[in-house]
Amino acid sequence: MTFRLTCPVCGKRDVYEFTFGGQERGPRPEQDGLSAEEHFRWTQFRLIPNEPQEEWWYHGQGCGVWFRTTRDPGTNREVR
Amino acid sequence: MSWLRPRRLWRPAPLERHYEFVIIGGGIHGLATAYYLARTHGIESVAVLESHYIGFGGSGRNTAIVRANQRTVENVRLYEEGLKLWPVLTDELDFNLMFFNCGTLNLGHSEAAMNGIRMLASTHNLVGVKSEVLDPQQCAEVIPGLDLSDRPAFPIHGGLYHPPGGIVRHDAVVWGLAKGASARGVHIHQGCEVQGIDTSDGRVTGVRTSLGSIGCDRLGIMAGGYGSAVAAMLGIELPIHPLTIQAMVTHPFKPFLHTAFSSGAYHVYANQTLKGEIATGAHMDPQVNYTNDATAYYLKHQAEALVELMPALRGVRFMRIWSGLADMTPDMAPIMEGELGYEGLYLDAGWGYFGFKSGPVAGKYMAQYMASGERPEILAPFRLGRFLENRYSGETAAVMKYGHWD
Amino acid sequence: MSRLRPGETCRVDFSRPLEFSFLGREMTGYAGDTVASALYGAGVRIFGRSLKYHRPRGLYSMEGESANTFMSIDGVPNECAETTELRAGMAIEPQNVRGDPGRDRFGFLDAFDRLMPAGFYYHLFHRPYALWPLFQSGLRRMAGTGVLDPGAEYRNGVRTERYLNADVAVIGGGPAGMAAALAAGESGLRVCLFERRGRLGGQMTWRVRDFEGEPLYRRAGALAARVRAAENVNVFTRSPVTGVWGENLVTGFAVGTEDDPFRECHWECRATTVVVAAGCMDRPLVFNHNDRPGVMQVGTAWRLARTYGVRPGKSVAFSVADDLGLEAAIDLDDMGVRIRFIADARESGQQGPEVFDALCDRAIPFFPGCAVSRAVGRKRVRGCVLRSLKGGRSRRFRCDLLVANAGMQPRIGILATAKARLAYCTHTHGYQPTELPPGVFVAGSMTGLRDPRSIEASGRVAGYGVAEWCGGRLKSVAGARAPAREAEALPGPGAGCGIIHAPAIGRGAKAFVDLDEDGTYKNVKESIARGLDVPELAKRFAGFGLGPGQYRVAGQNLAMIMADLRGDPVETAHPTTVRPPLGAPSLATLAGPGHDVHKRTPLHSELAGRGAVFRRAGAWQRARHFGDDPSCRDEIRNVRTNVGVLDSSPLGKFRIHGPDALNALQRVYMSDMSKARPGRCKYSAMCNDMGQLMDDGVVVAEGPGDYYFTTSSARAGDTVEWFRFHTRHDDWDYNLVNLTDVLGSLNIAGPNARRVLERLTRDNVSNQAFPYLACRRITVGDGVEARCLRLGFVGELSFELHAPASYVPYLWDLVMEAGADFGIRPFGLEAQNCLRAEKGHVIIGMESEQRVTLTDIGMGWMWDREDTVSKKVGAPALRACDRQPGRLNLVGLRVEEGAKAPRDGTLVVDGDKIVGYVCTTRSSDTLGWQYGLALVHREHAFPGRRIHLCHEEAPGQRVTSTAFVMSPHFYDPRGERLRS
Ligand SMILES: Cc1cc2nc3c(=O)[nH]c(=O)nc-3n(C[C@H](O)[C@H](O)[C@H](O)COP(=O)(O)OP(=O)(O)OC[C@H]3O[C@@H](n4cnc5c(N)ncnc54)[C@H](O)[C@@H]3O)c2cc1C
Ligand SMILES: [Zn+2]
Repeated sequence: MTFRLTCPVCGKRDVYEFTFGGQERGPRPEQDGLSAEEHFRWTQFRLIPNEPQEEWWYHGQGCGVWFRTTRDPGTNREVR
Repeated sequence: MSWLRPRRLWRPAPLERHYEFVIIGGGIHGLATAYYLARTHGIESVAVLESHYIGFGGSGRNTAIVRANQRTVENVRLYEEGLKLWPVLTDELDFNLMFFNCGTLNLGHSEAAMNGIRMLASTHNLVGVKSEVLDPQQCAEVIPGLDLSDRPAFPIHGGLYHPPGGIVRHDAVVWGLAKGASARGVHIHQGCEVQGIDTSDGRVTGVRTSLGSIGCDRLGIMAGGYGSAVAAMLGIELPIHPLTIQAMVTHPFKPFLHTAFSSGAYHVYANQTLKGEIATGAHMDPQVNYTNDATAYYLKHQAEALVELMPALRGVRFMRIWSGLADMTPDMAPIMEGELGYEGLYLDAGWGYFGFKSGPVAGKYMAQYMASGERPEILAPFRLGRFLENRYSGETAAVMKYGHWD
Repeated sequence: MSRLRPGETCRVDFSRPLEFSFLGREMTGYAGDTVASALYGAGVRIFGRSLKYHRPRGLYSMEGESANTFMSIDGVPNECAETTELRAGMAIEPQNVRGDPGRDRFGFLDAFDRLMPAGFYYHLFHRPYALWPLFQSGLRRMAGTGVLDPGAEYRNGVRTERYLNADVAVIGGGPAGMAAALAAGESGLRVCLFERRGRLGGQMTWRVRDFEGEPLYRRAGALAARVRAAENVNVFTRSPVTGVWGENLVTGFAVGTEDDPFRECHWECRATTVVVAAGCMDRPLVFNHNDRPGVMQVGTAWRLARTYGVRPGKSVAFSVADDLGLEAAIDLDDMGVRIRFIADARESGQQGPEVFDALCDRAIPFFPGCAVSRAVGRKRVRGCVLRSLKGGRSRRFRCDLLVANAGMQPRIGILATAKARLAYCTHTHGYQPTELPPGVFVAGSMTGLRDPRSIEASGRVAGYGVAEWCGGRLKSVAGARAPAREAEALPGPGAGCGIIHAPAIGRGAKAFVDLDEDGTYKNVKESIARGLDVPELAKRFAGFGLGPGQYRVAGQNLAMIMADLRGDPVETAHPTTVRPPLGAPSLATLAGPGHDVHKRTPLHSELAGRGAVFRRAGAWQRARHFGDDPSCRDEIRNVRTNVGVLDSSPLGKFRIHGPDALNALQRVYMSDMSKARPGRCKYSAMCNDMGQLMDDGVVVAEGPGDYYFTTSSARAGDTVEWFRFHTRHDDWDYNLVNLTDVLGSLNIAGPNARRVLERLTRDNVSNQAFPYLACRRITVGDGVEARCLRLGFVGELSFELHAPASYVPYLWDLVMEAGADFGIRPFGLEAQNCLRAEKGHVIIGMESEQRVTLTDIGMGWMWDREDTVSKKVGAPALRACDRQPGRLNLVGLRVEEGAKAPRDGTLVVDGDKIVGYVCTTRSSDTLGWQYGLALVHREHAFPGRRIHLCHEEAPGQRVTSTAFVMSPHFYDPRGERLRS
C-alpha cells in the first residue's frame, strides 16, 4: 500500500518522499551517570505492540522538516 | 504407492488445558522446534499455536533461497548446518522438500563490493564451505543474459558463486515439518491467536488465546515478524524492527535461469521456481509495520532493476506481488535467547530475510536449548545481550543511522 | 472460413485483411481482430497444451482469464492471444507443445492423472535421495510454458510513463462507469476513466436487446459519445488497471494507440476517489472435461459472433445459469447459429416472460434445473451429456460448441486490491463489498444488477456520491438524491446461482476448477483429505489460481466447493487473496524509459577531455583514473613528487549559522567544536549512537555563530537530515544550508602545489602566512573569490579551492595553465585512495564497519571525553567500549617481502581462526613495499606482531602471506610534508 503522510508544511505526500525516524522516545537522556546498558537500550530496544505509535518522519524530498505523526503499524495509516 | 492414498499430513488435535511446551507461531521455526522437541528430546506434550494457518507468515511468503555464504564464521557454521539438513529432513519426514541445489550468485557492482566478496569467499573456503569469486564473464556463464556492458548504472564487476546454495519449496517445508511433528504427537492448533502471556513469580505459566487459556511450563516465541508484538505482551523491548519485504513472480517460462542470483546494488534477488516462474524479491519499506501490504512502487522498481541487469527480461510480465514481514536486527543476525527475565521463556526471532534457510537448524538448537535449559554452544553468538554491549555480529558491514533498522 | 456479418456491433473491418502466420501457415484476419479471434476465425480450435496433463486447450475466455491462448507472438513468449490486437505479418506459435498442438508428444500424460494426485510430487522421487536430482531435472524440463531466450532482445519499442491526478478515477468503461464519469464530470470533478478494452461500452457494445426504444449497443455508443465530449472527463482506453493501492493510488498500463501499436505506457493516477465498475465474468461450470476445446464462456461465444463476426460453432449447446446466457443464446440463434438446447441451472427466477416467448418462437429446447455434466470429444467438443440437477437420467446431445457457465461472478480484483471487505452474498451468489475503503464506490453489474437501466442508474448514483464525498461541489444536494430515488425504483440485484454439484466423476474424467494449473475437482478433494482444507492452503498445495489467469477462473469456485465439501454453509467461503498486478504488465513497460539519475561535477567535460575513466560513486559520476593504467602509478608518483589536481566537487559543503549553530555542531561532532576558529580548519568526525563512524570533515568558523564545514561526499545528502534529527527535541535556532552542488572544488596537491597556487593569486600563500590547516578567502585569476583550505588528506602539501560551481571550470583552466610548466596532471579517486591509505587516513566504509567504534579505528583522540552536557551522539557508546576486550582495531601492516600479495578483503588468521581482515592494501612505489590497513582483534593489534594473511578466492586456491603490524601512518608519520 503506497500510503501517504501529512507533512505539516506540504500536506499529504507519498510515503516514499519521507525518511522514517523511528518511535518518539523523548529527548536524549542526560549523559551524566548514564550506564552503558541504559544507553544501548535507549538507542536500539523498542516496544512495538501492534497499536498506533507516535513516530518521527523527515520530509527529505519536500521541505526538509522532521515532524511527529501517529501511525498504526497494523494498517500503515496515520491516525488522528 | 503412499502418494495415491491421500492421508492427512497433520492430525487435528484436541486443545488441551496444559502443555509442557507451547510454541507461538506455526512457521518453520516454530514447527521445526516442536518437531525436534518431540523427535530428539522425546517430549510428548508440545503444542504449536498458530493464529492463521501454518505457513501464513514469512515461511509461506519467502523466495526460498537457501545458502550459507554469510559474512562471519559464526553465521556460516549455522547456515551450513542448515543447508545440510534439507536432504536429511526430506528423508526423515518422508516428504519431498524439493531442494534444488542450483547454487547462488551474488553480483558485485563496484570495486568495494568485490573486496567484500573476496573476503566472503575466503571466509567460506577457510571453514570448508565452497564459494568462488567470478569475473563478469564467468558470471554470465552462470547466469546467461546478464548485461556485462557499462550501460547499467552499476555495471557488473564480478560475483560470488556459491555452489552449495539453492532453492527449496517453502510450503513443503512447513507441511513436511507439520507432518513429522504431528506424527510424533505434537498438537498443531490453527486459528489460535495468542493474545496474552501469563506469568507468576517470574515464571511463564501459560498463554491466553482466542481459543481460551492454555497453561505451559516453557514457552517459545517463534512468531517471525510478529515476535516484537508478542514480546510486547510482556513488556519486553527488543532491538527488532518488523518491516515489510516484497516479492513477486512472473509468468512461467521454460527454465533458463539455473542458478539463483542477487544484487545488492540493485536490491534484487531472483530465481526460477520449479514451475518456471521467476520469483524475485525486493528491498524493504523502512517503517515498522505488521501489514502484508505490497506497493506499486516495488513492482516498478523491481522491473527497472531486472531489465537493467538482464535485458531479455523485458520479454516477461509480472503476474503477482505479495509481501511479508522481515524482523530486522541492527546487525542482521538473529536473536536466540532464553534469558529474558522470565523463567521458561524463550525467543527465536530477528531473522530478517534469512529465516527460511535457517528454519530447521534453528529449530534443532532451540529445541535443545528449551529442553535442557542450557544454551548450545553454536547459539552463543546470537545472545540478545550483544546489543547491550555494542558487540555486533558483523553479518553486515553497514552501520545503522538512527538505531532502528534503516 | 466464412465470417458472419453481424452489422453495427462489429469491430472488425472486413475491407482490411491482415495476413499472419500460425505455425508457419499463412492465415488471414482483419483489422480489429484480436489474435485469438483471427485464429478462431481461420479455423484454429486447439491453441495450446495444458501445463501438467498436456491436454489440448482452446479458446475459453476473451480477456486472458485463463492461459489457454498464451502463445509466442513474433518471438515474444507468453503473449495472450485474447488481448493482443492482430497486426499484419505476425508470426504466431503455440506453446508447451512440439509442433502442432493437435498432436503432442506428451499428450499421453493425460492418461496418467490418477498417478498424479494433488501435490503428488511431495510424496515421490526423494527415495533414494541420490536419484532426486535426476527426477528434478526431469520435472524442471516439464515446467513452464513459454520459451524465453536470455540472449535475445524483447520489446524495444517506445516506453513512456504518465503520472495523473484526478478527483475521481472511474475503473471500467461500461454503462455504469460511463454514467458515473458523466455524473461526476457534470458536478465539476476532474475524472479519469480507465477501460481495458479499445472502446467504451462494456458488454453493451455487443448486445442488441432493446433499451427504451433502441438497441443497447446504440445506447452504449450514445453514452460513449457523451463521455468523449464531456469536458472534464479524460478517457483512457486499452488501459488495464493493475491495482488500487493505499489511499486510492490507481496504477495500470496502456498498450498501443491507433497510430502506434508498439507504444506502451506505465501510468499512475493519484485519485481522491475511485468508482469501481469492473463488471462481471462467467463463473465456470465445473463438469467433466469442461476444459475441452469447444467449451467456452458465454461472453466468448457471443463476442466472437457479435464483435468479431466469427461463427463460434455450427451446433451450439448452452448450459448457463443467468439471464444473460439466455439472451446470448437467443441472439446467436437470430444470427443463424444453430442452438441445440439451453439448459438453465435455475429452476426458476428467469426475468420476465419475454424470454420464454422468445425461446418458444425460435423453437429452442429449454431445460430448466439442468446442467451439462460432461463434454464429449477429445480434441474438440463433439457432444455433451445433460443432466437434471435433481438427479435422474442423463441425455446425450451432439454439438460442436458448448457454452457453459454457472452464472456470472463479479470481477472482484480491483475491490480486493483496494482492500474492500468482501463477503459472499447468498442472493447474488457472488462476493459483495460489505465495507469500502474511504472514497471507494462501486457500481454496475458487479453489484449483481442485471437490468440495463439499473446498471446505468447505479453509475449515476456513484457519480453523484463521489461528488458529495469530494466536498459538495454539487449544484444542489437534491441533484444527488434524485438519481438515488430513481435507482430505487428500478429492479435490484438479480438472483444468482449457488453451487452446482459436479456430477460423479468417471474414470479418467476431469472436472477442472482451474485451467492454468490443471487443478481438478478431485484435486480439491485430495487437498482436503491431506488436511489442506482451506482455500489458501489448497491454492498452495494444488496450484489453484496460481497460473497466469490468477484468481479469475478458480477463485470463487474453489471457495464454494471447499465450503461445500467441508459441509460448511457457502457464505463462510472465503476466496483466496487477490494479488496485484491485475493485468500483467511487462517488465519493459513497468521499467519505462529507464532514466538513470546521477550527478556530474562541474568539471565533467574537462575530465573527460583528459581521458578520465568514470565510475559511479553514490549519486555522482567520478573520475576513477586517467588513461589506461588502473593502478595509477604515474598519477600517484606525480602527486608525491610534483603536483596533481583532483576534482573534489562532490565533497559535502555546508554553512551553519544562527544562535544555536555551535550547539548543533557540539551535538553531532565528537570534538569540542567551541575550539573551531576563524581561519583554521578543525578536523572532526560524527558517530552514530553506537559510536560507529558516520562521517568526517573539517569545520571553520566564519563569524560569530557562523561556520563552514565539509562532509564526505557519500554523506552530503544526509547531513541536514542528520543534524535536524539529533536536535529535533531541542528547539534550537540555526540555519543549515547544503552548498554541495552550488560550490565546486578542486584540490591541488603535491610538493609543488604552492608554486602553482602562487601563480594564480596575489594573496600570500607562503607557509608562514598560510600554514597547514589554515583557511582563507583568496582571489584567484582575475577575481574569482574562493575559499582555500590547506589540508592534507593525501599526505602532501595541498590546497583545496572551493568556489561557485559555474566558476570552477575557469579555475581548472587557470590551474592547468599555471601548472603546465611543472607537469601538473589530474589524478582520480583510485590515486587518492592509495595516497591517503599510505598516509593512514581512513575512508568511511572502507576501514570502518559496524563492529568498530571511532576509538577502535584510532580516531578516539578527537573525542572530547569531558563533555557530557552537549549530549554528543555516540559519546556514551565510546565510553562503554573504551577498554572493552575482544574488539577489532585498525592497524597498519607491512607485508613481508617475497610473500604472495594479499588483496583488499584478504583475511587475517590465527591458525584456523579468523581474527580480522585487510581493508586496503597496495604495493607502494613510494614506500617500496606493500602496506595494508586492516581491522584485527585487539589481541593481535600491537606493533611488531607477525600476523598471517590468507585468501582463497576459489576452493583449493589458498594464498597465504605474512605481515608485521605497525602504525597505519606509513608515509610521513610526523606530517612534515603536510606542514612544509
Ligand atoms: C518476501 C520475503 C522473502 C524472503 N526470502 C527469504 C529467502 O530467500 N531466504 C531466507 O532464508 N529467508 C527469506 N525470508 C525470510 C523468511 O521467510 C523468514 O525469516 C522465516 O519464514 C521466518 O520463519 P518463522 O517461522 O520464524 O516465522 P513465520 O513464518 O513468519 O511464522 C510466524 C507465525 O507466527 C504466527 N503468529 C504471529 N503472531 C501470533 C500470535 N500472537 N499467536 C499465534 N500465532 C502467531 C504467524 O501467523 C505466523 O504464521 C523472506 C521473507 C519474505 C517476507
Ligand atoms: Zn514537507
